[in-house]
Amino acid sequence: MPHPTILASTGALTHFAGRFFREVVRPRYEVQEWLYQCYVVGYQSLPLVGSTAFIMGLVLTLRLRPTMVQFGAESWIPTMVGLTIIREMGPIITALMVAGKVSSNIGAELGSMRVTEQIDSMEVSGTNPFKYLVVTRVLATTLMLPVLTIVADAISLYASYLGVNMQGVTTLALFSHNILGRLNFSDITAAVVKTFCFGFAIGLIGCYKGYYADKGTEGVGQAANSAVVVSSLAVFILDLLAVQVCLVLGIA
Amino acid sequence: MSQRTTHNYVRLGLFVAVGLGCLVVTLYMLGQQQRLFNRSILVQADFRNVSGLLAGNNVRLGGIAVGNVRTIEIRNDSTVRVTMRLNQEVRAFVHQNTLATIGTDGLVGNTIINLNTQPGPALPIGSGDVLPTSTPASFETMLGPLAASSTNLVAITHDLRQMTQRLNGSQPLWQLLDDRQLAGRVRRSLGNVEAATGRLSTASRDVQLLAQGVRQGHGAAGYLLTNKALGGQLDHAARQLAGTSDTLAATLAGLRHQLQGAGALNTLLADTAFSRQLRQSMHSVELGTAGFSRSMEALQHNFLLRGYLRRQQRRQQRAQVAHQP
Amino acid sequence: MLSETCSAPVHSAAASPPPEAVLTVVHVEKSFGDNHVLRDFSLVLHRGENVVVLGKSGSGKSVLIKCIIGLLLPDAGRITVLGQDVATLSHAALDQLRTKVGFLFQSNALYDSMTVRENLLFPLRRHWLAHSPAEEDQLVRQALEDVGLAHTAGLLPAELSGGMRKRIALARTLILRPDIILYDEPTTGLDPVTAREIDHLIREVQRKYGTSALIISHDLNCVRLTADRVALLVDGRCYAEGTYEQLRDRPDPVSHEFFA
Repeated sequence: MPHPTILASTGALTHFAGRFFREVVRPRYEVQEWLYQCYVVGYQSLPLVGSTAFIMGLVLTLRLRPTMVQFGAESWIPTMVGLTIIREMGPIITALMVAGKVSSNIGAELGSMRVTEQIDSMEVSGTNPFKYLVVTRVLATTLMLPVLTIVADAISLYASYLGVNMQGVTTLALFSHNILGRLNFSDITAAVVKTFCFGFAIGLIGCYKGYYADKGTEGVGQAANSAVVVSSLAVFILDLLAVQVCLVLGIA
Repeated sequence: MSQRTTHNYVRLGLFVAVGLGCLVVTLYMLGQQQRLFNRSILVQADFRNVSGLLAGNNVRLGGIAVGNVRTIEIRNDSTVRVTMRLNQEVRAFVHQNTLATIGTDGLVGNTIINLNTQPGPALPIGSGDVLPTSTPASFETMLGPLAASSTNLVAITHDLRQMTQRLNGSQPLWQLLDDRQLAGRVRRSLGNVEAATGRLSTASRDVQLLAQGVRQGHGAAGYLLTNKALGGQLDHAARQLAGTSDTLAATLAGLRHQLQGAGALNTLLADTAFSRQLRQSMHSVELGTAGFSRSMEALQHNFLLRGYLRRQQRRQQRAQVAHQP
Repeated sequence: MLSETCSAPVHSAAASPPPEAVLTVVHVEKSFGDNHVLRDFSLVLHRGENVVVLGKSGSGKSVLIKCIIGLLLPDAGRITVLGQDVATLSHAALDQLRTKVGFLFQSNALYDSMTVRENLLFPLRRHWLAHSPAEEDQLVRQALEDVGLAHTAGLLPAELSGGMRKRIALARTLILRPDIILYDEPTTGLDPVTAREIDHLIREVQRKYGTSALIISHDLNCVRLTADRVALLVDGRCYAEGTYEQLRDRPDPVSHEFFA
């Protein structure tokens, strides 16, 4: 592949996404491989995402505290941190960590499979490599990222609760009450829908970069690298779009 | 593959179950909190001004959240109709004469609706009923009379000072007073009045400054938050006002007592035009301070100064306790 | 520049009745943009025969073999495998045909994330060739014994040497008992000793299972040891055809270049 312009590669990516949607509905369904990919994407990312979320929740709370105390609004810390995490930070941080870990992994894996002819070999072995490799992985990231985000949110909020209790006493009941009191259903649904999109973008871009990796080991590295860069960027662009869509729809 | 054991699928299942469990619990608790699963009744109230109330804001009865605002619509040029959803179980406590007022939740908090039950018999509320409302005096309207009072006070104290100076300077008056003790007391009283009026005028100037600052459009909370010096000023002014009006009241009472009780002086003064003038001044000072304390009281009810004034009161009490033994 | 082509002898060979043609490539053309890799290439493979296509690197040998297995579509010409035209087959029929045609990739294409055993089972399971676990075990053991690596079933490809990986890849091809095996440069990247072992293995497979083989190579030792017949691929055409000795002794400079 020569150096394509951004527009051309966007078009190619769209075409790739179209192929995904065509292939995802047709049998045969690679359930085993999909479950395994869910395990890899979901469960195996948990330590990374969980620790990031924990640190984020704690730091956010501790950082916010001096400012809030200055305004005499200490009791607003749980609300502010809770809304920040659930609406924005949770999805974004999780998506970025997954983009870093999973997208590069997929890019490198599929890239090396392309380079060492494993993808051709699958085709010869009576397997549709697109279904077996791409569809399962994209589906896995799409479905696992929301779950990861929810778990990360929970961990993050727990860390925030600990942070609040480091310099003062707040019961868990009051803490959760403070957050829930300002939370709407639309906040949660918007965040969940957003993470589905993030997951889809991360999986799709990782697969695209790997599936069409150039020959040679350099191509594999490039595929992994650009998978991370492009999918991280895509996460932010999608987030911006999500904010705009929410504004237009009047949510939040 | 070697890693594709049942064990791992169990882990995956657990992970997904935990994630979805968190989501479901949160949604359920949210529903509980917003009482989506409870039965509710809709009641209405008409306001002139809802001060930025939004759909979804809380409705409180006795300080407890009992519902939220559903819709807000303008009915005509002077009426805004607010429809609120109340929980079924508080129906027994909300009567048709319950007063709905617009309030705020903390310093920078949301606008809320307070329901205040009124004495007197009334039927329990039903769906679709319209509650009576009252609009509480805003910070702005409270500051108005305060500023006016302090302006008056400045004028009055000016007069008063002039008079006391004239009284002091009137040699024949003092010579006529045979009772030395009384003369000394009157002198002292007048000195007190002079000092008190001096303090009063600075205090009222401070309050005027505050009112001006607020009027400049910062908004009460905004002004208090952005201007640190103002906080100090307000503190100072209020302390002075409190002290001064106390002294002034005591002095005036003493003076009047002396003027009324002391036969010779009273008779002497009663005949002169000067005495009438003095009485009038005293009266207007009394009126001024009364107006001033009314304004102060109104201010005390305003949330902004409530905390401060309460602290002030406590400090005074402590001081008194310390003085007593 | 070249006047002599080998299309005529191919047709005469196909016409002779006794040896059955399992693979015919007729006037195949394939180009990538301006790069005309194959121009009018023709070849016939008979049952039980090892044919080596000898060509320089980048001369389109791999493209030819990928056209045969249906990974690439030729621009023109016809490829018939076991009597079926590859280009016209449906996806399902192509998969069916592929169970009878083994493909040994140049880079082995062993699945990194699977053990040797799982690698071998992959084509077996993916082609819906249902087997009981006991039967699967038997087939895996047999295939591994054929390549002399019965003890490696539990290892990952990364734990094997290059020659072992080549053997495992061959075992994965053999497990389906194909009629035709396509070898894409089987000795490239191996040391001479290991390469010779692989060459002997190719011969052995031919003897044991009677498979036909199309071998793509530029390694003369490999050609000498494995070929019943050799086709010279030059400029996208079949330049000359014959036994190793016949071609080696040809006087023209183009052939000489290969055997120098």
